[in-house]
Amino acid sequence: MVLLLIACLAGTGSIWKQGPPRPYKVEYPSYFGNRINIPEDNPLTEEGVRLGRMLFYETALSSGNRISCASCHKQELAFTDGLQFSIGVDGTPTPRNSMSLANLLWVRNFFWDGRAEGLEKQAETPLTNPHEMGQALAISAQKLQQSPIYPALFRDAFGSNVITDNKIVKALSQFERTLISSNSTYDQYLRGEYQPTASELNGITLFFDPGGAGCGHCHGGPKTFSELFHNNGLDSIPEDAGRKAITGQEYDNGRFRVATLRNIALTAPYMHDGRFKTLEEVADHYSDHIQASATLSPFLENRQKLTMQEKKDLVAFLHLLTDSTFITDKRFSNPFK
Amino acid sequence: MKVYLIALLACFSLHQASAQEASLSVTGEVTHPLQLTAAGLSKMKRTTVALKDRDGKEHKYTGVTIPEILDLAGVTTGKQLRGENLTKYMLVKCADGYEVLFSLAELDTSFTDRTAILADQLEGGPLPAGKGPFRLVVPGEKKPARSSFQVTEFIIRFAK
Ligand code: HEC
Ligand code: HEC
Repeated sequence: MVLLLIACLAGTGSIWKQGPPRPYKVEYPSYFGNRINIPEDNPLTEEGVRLGRMLFYETALSSGNRISCASCHKQELAFTDGLQFSIGVDGTPTPRNSMSLANLLWVRNFFWDGRAEGLEKQAETPLTNPHEMGQALAISAQKLQQSPIYPALFRDAFGSNVITDNKIVKALSQFERTLISSNSTYDQYLRGEYQPTASELNGITLFFDPGGAGCGHCHGGPKTFSELFHNNGLDSIPEDAGRKAITGQEYDNGRFRVATLRNIALTAPYMHDGRFKTLEEVADHYSDHIQASATLSPFLENRQKLTMQEKKDLVAFLHLLTDSTFITDKRFSNPFK
Repeated sequence: MKVYLIALLACFSLHQASAQEASLSVTGEVTHPLQLTAAGLSKMKRTTVALKDRDGKEHKYTGVTIPEILDLAGVTTGKQLRGENLTKYMLVKCADGYEVLFSLAELDTSFTDRTAILADQLEGGPLPAGKGPFRLVVPGEKKPARSSFQVTEFIIRFAK
């Protein structure tokens, strides 16, 4: 059947030049688990991922040709931009802090409020939002169609050199799914290749143990990510309603997605509004400044304060989550350089 | 009885919850997808069970048994729960994204004596903010980790 299809395509002239795209194999540790998300109609291929990487760094996808995804998602900062709020094509700051792009393969609902189901849907937002890249997908497709390189790359990835919005978001998503960070010092410890200091070990215990600082309840597991939405006590009256704006439910007021803590030492400032400049401020928050409200997570009520040393140990653990190979991996870098 | 049930069913399926009203949906391998609201739940047969909470104390929760809800949605329960139907499970989803799973047999009165309920009352009053309006209460487990808060969905599926 598949052969027949390929034969048919050959007949119409929209043939893959070098044969059909080759499957791309994603690799990750077994302790990440296999609850990954790859839509049936967008399997990862070598050619698709290569194209997606180029599109990720392609400024032609923005009006004015100055901004790409990488403007707000820089590899050296684990795909964040170091700013409290990002600046798009029209100079207006984004309402929320840019998010790290790591281990997205396990995420199902994207953005701080989880409003985009799947990466393909997510990608449309920055591409077309007037404060981000500000260009209709149809125009992006037209611009790429006229370029000397892209039609052939789209043909290799999708079997036809006709460029469509759908193929642009598919290729971008394929690339993003390959952004896997699993070689942090903490991973080396899990593999038995790194001996943590006493402070780091205590930080690990504090983080994961229910009797400790209780971080693991929300940021649990070696991925330091679980797809949960919580109010983590930033404000008693949240300025940004977060998840409530999506679901319309009062109980979702001030709830945001529990973000991954992978590479967290590289992704300051912190929280959806980038209010904390350092991890020390974050530790202070969870120890001393949890704000009560009707929607505060029950897991953050009546907490024990952390000692100075405990805060230091927690921060030492968070530093173990830095993955220096992830931020220097050539497969994720700017292909135009 | 039958007429009553059908009337009730019709009422539940027509009653689409408004955007702001919290509700529980029952979907998947069901003959009648449901959207239950607090008002709907209060009209069904009520059951009270005891659960030992994280505070180590027993508390009385009142609501509707899970088999009762599954029957209303036309899920294979009781005599129908055999053969391939024994490979079905119920995925419970909560407002905060929390998810837990039960095999249908674990919840069925023909398999077990314990009574899991969807509770909307604690000690005769409403559930505390953060846990309600609907909490799954599963007595007889060593940890209350599956007695999840703010339940929004039951999804019935075949294990594949
Ligand atoms: C102007 C800055 C800017 C640009 C350009 C930009 N982003 Fe983002 N990105 C953000 C911000 C800010 C957020 C968080 C927004 C929110 O939650 O409302 C975000 C969130 C995301 C997320 C969600 C991650 C998660 O864990 O949920 C993904 C994925 C993403 N961006 C991919 C992209 C891609 C792909 C492009 C290019 C097509 C892109 N971004 C361009 C600023 C930007
Ligand atoms: C009740 C769930 C919960 C618990 C417990 C919890 N967090 Fe969080 N955490 C969140 C949520 C939700 C966010 C995102 C909040 C926002 O931006 O509004 C977050 C954000 C963070 C961030 C910032 C992430 C970023 O990319 O900006 C850090 C760092 C963090 N948490 C560390 C910790 C530490 C350390 C602990 C233990 C002391 C902890 N958390 C306990 C829910 C939790």
